[in-house]
Amino acid sequence: MSLLPVARRVAPRCNLARAFASKTPFAAPTASVYRVFDRAAKRTQKDRAASRDGGERSRTVEYVRDEVADRMMERLLDIKRRFDTIVDLGSGSGHFSKLLEPDKTRKVIMIDSSGQTLNRDPDDDFEVQLERVQGDEEDLLGILPRNSQEAIVSCLSLHWVNDLPGTLVQIRETLKPDGLFLGAMFGGDTLFELRSALQLAEVDREGGISPHVSPMTDTKDMSNLLGRAGFTLLTVDTDEVRVGYPSMWELIEDLKDMGEGNAIVGRRHFLHRDTLAAASAIYQELHGNKDGSIPATFQVIYMIGWKPSPTQPKPLERGSAQTSLKDVL
Amino acid sequence: MQSAQKSTTSPLKRLALHSTTTCSSQATAYGKCIVATYTDVRKDCCKHEFEKFGQCLRAAVCLQTRGHHASPLTHRR
Repeated sequence: MSLLPVARRVAPRCNLARAFASKTPFAAPTASVYRVFDRAAKRTQKDRAASRDGGERSRTVEYVRDEVADRMMERLLDIKRRFDTIVDLGSGSGHFSKLLEPDKTRKVIMIDSSGQTLNRDPDDDFEVQLERVQGDEEDLLGILPRNSQEAIVSCLSLHWVNDLPGTLVQIRETLKPDGLFLGAMFGGDTLFELRSALQLAEVDREGGISPHVSPMTDTKDMSNLLGRAGFTLLTVDTDEVRVGYPSMWELIEDLKDMGEGNAIVGRRHFLHRDTLAAASAIYQELHGNKDGSIPATFQVIYMIGWKPSPTQPKPLERGSAQTSLKDVL
Repeated sequence: MQSAQKSTTSPLKRLALHSTTTCSSQATAYGKCIVATYTDVRKDCCKHEFEKFGQCLRAAVCLQTRGHHASPLTHRR
């Protein structure tokens, strides 16, 4: 009952706001509900990073990508199957595709939104037949037909995708039955040191915070998302890559050269130098190693999922067991 | 000599250098102040420590770029 006066007071204001809203010339968001990242800005960042110093700068900072590609290749080698074609979604310069050997696949299709990144390295660096397609990772069905691929891999690119559930559904749709999806993406704890140092510095210096490090997917959400997108036989695990840097400045510069700069929609386009200097001091004190260097954590989520097929092994009917588990144990 | 130095090191590089080497003791004092209160940080809670750090940075940067008016601490790209 006591809520009633409040409701009355609020109601006219709501109506007024709605009247304004209906008269604004801007269209309401319809197609994409999820818009966290500015994909056009990300493509520009990647293009610039890949063309800086003729590609040399981006080659020297590929240490995280190379390490993760290596670990992902171990997972692919565990799968005893030879594929005709593998699609590398968000391939970058092909750090994963370069590791593929002819006894695993005949051909690889690299898809990336940044043309400079995609074409940075010559075909000689790859051991298998190669096709490069410049296209948006979020629009996979616009690039490849449904039910056409045996395997799709994605190494460290899905963390810039706005509509992750939708992209996973498109990946499943593109796969043939019993097709494989193998992916690696940065997860929630990635760069938590940088995130906290910048936040503390901004609060102390400027009195407010703004996002500088992307929001990232949590590990436990990943298996739910894969399940929801219709994959079966899921395997999700996490791993950390910790890299040491002399100071926060080198970390920021390397991130820029990797094309991994901030691309959140509505981000601030500069950081005040006072704030940067403060963040560097805080990073050193809060997270620094004893030898004066600083660590940066990259948390990687690896995921494997299969498109359902009648030929896949399935659990038996409940209650159909012939032996009692009690006897076995 | 000075112009050569300016062309090889950007203002941000100089700031990076001075904040981690030349002014490292002030940086540590400021960092320690924040870490001591980091569960309850507010605006200007370590103002005093930062002023010392900032003064040192300005002095170091000015010394290196004597004759240039723009101090990298106030200059925005």
